[in-house]
Amino acid sequence: MTTRDIVLVALFAAIMVVLGLLPPITLGFIPVPITAQSLGPMLAGCILGARRGAAAMLLVLLLVAIGLPVLSGGRGGLAVFAGPSAGYIFGWVVGAFVCGLISERLVKQDQSELSQFLSFLLASVVGGIGIVYLFGMPWLAYMSGKAFFETAAASLVFLPGDLIKAFVAMLAARAVLAGYPLLPQRA
Amino acid sequence: MLNGLDIEGNSPLHRLPVRGKLILLFTAAILLLLISDLRVLVPALALAALLYLSTGIGLGEAFRRTRFVLFTVLLVALANYLFHSLHEALVVFCRLSALVLLAAAVTATTGISAFMDEITRLITPLERFGFVRAADVSLAVGLVIRFVPEIFARYGEIADAHRARGLRVRPFTVLVPLIILTLKDADTIAMAIDARGFRRH
Repeated sequence: MTTRDIVLVALFAAIMVVLGLLPPITLGFIPVPITAQSLGPMLAGCILGARRGAAAMLLVLLLVAIGLPVLSGGRGGLAVFAGPSAGYIFGWVVGAFVCGLISERLVKQDQSELSQFLSFLLASVVGGIGIVYLFGMPWLAYMSGKAFFETAAASLVFLPGDLIKAFVAMLAARAVLAGYPLLPQRA
Repeated sequence: MLNGLDIEGNSPLHRLPVRGKLILLFTAAILLLLISDLRVLVPALALAALLYLSTGIGLGEAFRRTRFVLFTVLLVALANYLFHSLHEALVVFCRLSALVLLAAAVTATTGISAFMDEITRLITPLERFGFVRAADVSLAVGLVIRFVPEIFARYGEIADAHRARGLRVRPFTVLVPLIILTLKDADTIAMAIDARGFRRH
């Protein structure tokens, strides 16, 4: 990684920390408040690409582990990794990587706007939702003991909110690509 | 703006070296996940709570820090009670809360710089494989701590700019300028770091 890559990774991790400081948004039709922070993995992958995106998420996890309250609601410390929802947080790293991989392959600068939107949406849904759930749900199921099936199924209440986030990530990633393209690795 | 979660003090946990605490926490986690006997788990939870409070954190702050994770633990226990049995719910509750409290106790007694030193020591062997450089990781952590207040202030400026133009401050319309303005600084910062020769190759 070049110095610029390290700085980009650190700045993105810092943006994610700031997103966690903002109050959560409640949308009328979903019971669960949405924190802007969980947009992080999708945005990191779509904007920075696979390697730098995953590195930014790893950096956030490191900050949590060493005891900085950087997650939304001032959460932090090793207790976060001991809880039943820790799998989702580990999933951020791989989620950002996959999201970045798909974006790097599919998104080209000279494409039409629509295909860029669709590529970013696909990347956000597969990486930011699919992969994150793939890590989060088995962990939750394992930690739940006998009620593994029920809790895993109940965690699907977050799906509508996450789909909205994928949509927001798509819009933001495309806007950043137009304003300051970083996804092409040579940029 | 970013203050660590460690509490100053001189309890036995404070005096233990970081690596020792991490190994103990890891061992405790494995044991807790293997045991499902309430006769062991209930005392374990009591012991974990006692250990956490022995750090001198105070009851209110101790609860404030762990309430979110404990809430998810409670939800999981509730699911066990509804679909299986009270016994199953108690096992899951005691096991997971004990784990959470122990982890919180380690965090409360370990300073950020001590923890960071330990992490640097742990990843130094990985340098040989070319994955990562320990100095780069510390640099990145330092950069985040340095830039969070600045980015937060920038968020405030963008929100003010919205209000000055009579626009509603919506997360999406703030997000894009915040990301572009912040990442655009990367070149200057990288140049400044290289000019000072922080990263020798």
